[in-house]
Amino acid sequence: MHGPAGPGAPLRPRKKRSSPIQGEALATYAPAGPSTSPAGTRVRLRSSLGSEPLELKLKLAFAERQILKRAKMSLFGTTSGFGTGGTSMFGSTTTDNHNPMKDIEVTSSPDDSIGCLSFSPPTLPGNFLIAGSWANDVRCWEVQDSGQTIPKAQQMHTGPVLDVCWSDDGSKVFTASCDKTAKMWDLNSNQAIQIAQHDAPVKTIHWIKAPNYSCVMTGSWDKTLKFWDTRSSNPMMVLQLPERCYCADMIYPMAVVATAERGLIVYQLENQPSEFRRIESPLKHQHRCVAIFKDKQNKPTGFALGSIEGRVAIHYINPPNPAKDNFTFKCHRSNGTNTSAPQDIYAVNGIAFHPVHGTLATVGSDGRFSFWDKDARTKLKTSEQLDQPISACCFNHNGNIFAYASSYDWSKGHEFYNPQKKNYIFLRNAAEELKPRNKK
Amino acid sequence: MTICQFFLQGRCRFGERCWNEHPGAWGAGGGRQQHPSGSNRRGWNATSQRYSSVIQPSSFSKSTPWGGSREQEKPSFGSFDSGDSTNRNRGFGLSQNPFATSPTSDEQKDEKKLLEGIVKDMEVWESSGQWMFSAYSPMKKKPSISGFTDISPEELRLEYHNFLTSNNLQSYLNSIQQLKNQWRNRVNELKTLNTSTKIALLSDIKDGINQATPTFGFGSRQTATFGSPGFPVNNSMGDNAQNSSFTTSSGFATAPTGSPSVFGNSPAFGAVPSTSPAITTSTPAPGFGKPEITSAASFSFKTPAASGFGSAGFSGFPAPMAAGPVGAPGAPAFGNSSSVAGFGSPGSHSHTPFSKSFSDTHDGHSSTSTSVSVSNGSTTTGNELFTPKHQLTAEELRQFQSKKFTLGKIPLKPPPVELLNI
Repeated sequence: MHGPAGPGAPLRPRKKRSSPIQGEALATYAPAGPSTSPAGTRVRLRSSLGSEPLELKLKLAFAERQILKRAKMSLFGTTSGFGTGGTSMFGSTTTDNHNPMKDIEVTSSPDDSIGCLSFSPPTLPGNFLIAGSWANDVRCWEVQDSGQTIPKAQQMHTGPVLDVCWSDDGSKVFTASCDKTAKMWDLNSNQAIQIAQHDAPVKTIHWIKAPNYSCVMTGSWDKTLKFWDTRSSNPMMVLQLPERCYCADMIYPMAVVATAERGLIVYQLENQPSEFRRIESPLKHQHRCVAIFKDKQNKPTGFALGSIEGRVAIHYINPPNPAKDNFTFKCHRSNGTNTSAPQDIYAVNGIAFHPVHGTLATVGSDGRFSFWDKDARTKLKTSEQLDQPISACCFNHNGNIFAYASSYDWSKGHEFYNPQKKNYIFLRNAAEELKPRNKK
Repeated sequence: MTICQFFLQGRCRFGERCWNEHPGAWGAGGGRQQHPSGSNRRGWNATSQRYSSVIQPSSFSKSTPWGGSREQEKPSFGSFDSGDSTNRNRGFGLSQNPFATSPTSDEQKDEKKLLEGIVKDMEVWESSGQWMFSAYSPMKKKPSISGFTDISPEELRLEYHNFLTSNNLQSYLNSIQQLKNQWRNRVNELKTLNTSTKIALLSDIKDGINQATPTFGFGSRQTATFGSPGFPVNNSMGDNAQNSSFTTSSGFATAPTGSPSVFGNSPAFGAVPSTSPAITTSTPAPGFGKPEITSAASFSFKTPAASGFGSAGFSGFPAPMAAGPVGAPGAPAFGNSSSVAGFGSPGSHSHTPFSKSFSDTHDGHSSTSTSVSVSNGSTTTGNELFTPKHQLTAEELRQFQSKKFTLGKIPLKPPPVELLNI
């Protein structure tokens, strides 16, 4: 369990060094300003390192400029070490590509793959991030505006944690795990009690706050969707699914569940949850993730569905013109325009909608994230490629922070599983990059 | 960062050291052979994004069902495909003439496109390195094609962990290998579409009776079981969903005469009797396993004339049955001709006892026994789908061979497979 940081002592984000020698070099040579050595000269620094001529001064200068630039645009303010570590500056000499986007790294990240991320609701002051991992734990960090992340607390399950969500008042966290249970974690008392039971691993969990009831909705591989009052051990309601639940999302009064065998069901949650419609899947392959989006009046109006085949479908529930309004787009493929070479196609691991702008982010097994504007039907940005797949993503409540987790998602089977590989959670300033394109 | 003008011209003398941005220089950083498109490399450049993500006109755009061709002109989002499948209305609502030997050319084109699309999709699936344990459907709003197990990566990973803790990793690896082989076989089948798979696919898609969900039983080999041309059952899996799908099909089968469209599907089953000789001659190849998916419509092919044929055809059956890997307990029960005769008798009544017994034997993981019963039933029905030429009178043969049927002389038997062109 991670104790809180010492009183008053800010946690320094760890500086990553790919090798101790280089780090030493960083300390000894004062960063030279960009103006000192003209860009053209090959400054061969006879360093004590001995290895290849590193041209350290230039690199440091370059890095310095990078930091200054990022400091300007960051909402988090400037900190000296942006938590990214020195290795990324030496991109040519080392192949460490774990953070090519130079985003803030969350400290004390989980030891195994991260399956789910969730930020606290607006009712809680500040930003708290919850992550569930395959190491059977759920961790909580406080994310400060400066970008520092402070590990706060941790809870354990007896199986990998597949989904997490917050209650609407921000006092409780619900966690769903492969141990066929779901737990409610009271953050104030740091106690967790079991609130749900299934016959198979619980894949999704959501907190429903309706005017006349509140409950937890759990979807499981036992093909049921159960609704729980946290005080009782019997579910309030059990709905049958056609197949194992693979992903779900809920924005009151709508919930959508995507199951195996390309099943897709929409539920309406007013009065009590009931099945609203079964939809024929707009995608050809296995469903992987789903996220509901809202219209201008802040009502849920449709959802985005991602599959393992590098494709996302945008589907409106009651569009004026279904043939035109619903569409799919390809993403997370290796070579976009090169038609001759076979593409590598990656699964879309997560979709998240920006709470303010309505634009969406997708993360994939290729280790990239992309931002899209579904109304203008354009891509806003694609990231550089990380060296691991990105397995989960999440926006905070006001859309300023985009969190994404870099860890192995089993997309290539057990052969590519490296338990020693570090898993990361990165935080990125999302206020600017997700502004919608002006559609003309 | 400013883009280095010299690099764009190909003559930047600083190379990596250059402080300006070299578009594309970062793309190779991952160590993989990637060729990121110009748009993907520098996502920062807002203006270039709009028309950037044009994706290759892949298989999807070729097959119009995705509406891709319409949308290819639109720059953004690559080939985003809007909305409903335009082929929804190309329902295979054949004319009321049950003996229409060939579908309309429009439909044929659709089928061709569908099949081409499937072939392309298979190729892409193989080469792209995407997740292999996924359901697949050739077109939006169409049911999934059978033969593909839908397993999510998390489920596999959980299995891995479980096996790891029980020190039984080898069985996990074996199961994975088996699943992979199944998948590969299925993909190869679909890539090299011979008539039997085509028929199976087409009826699969048309009738929309979905096949079973996969049990997570590692080790259930679908290729081990015989094809059951008459069944919506994916014979490697048995499940509740399957039960329900089967009951619908049996309901369907109980009204054979009342559904002329069923007979209209007969061309689709053209290849089935061709496989029945395969039964007698060779061990069931996976190819034969494919027609299993075809809908229950074939059950209704209980024409009176065919009954005698059915039992005759069946006699040859038990031999390969024994030879096949299916040594299930259910086999003998269905192997004897008495039950077959009962099954082969005209009318739909025979169905219900069969379907009942099927449902009985049919439980979660008894894939082999179900497949046996299934294959039994299907073979008989398969034999009844088409009459071999020698059973037709000259007149009937002439009718089939002519371009159109003459009223009053329309044969009551299904056409022979040789005359069908698929």
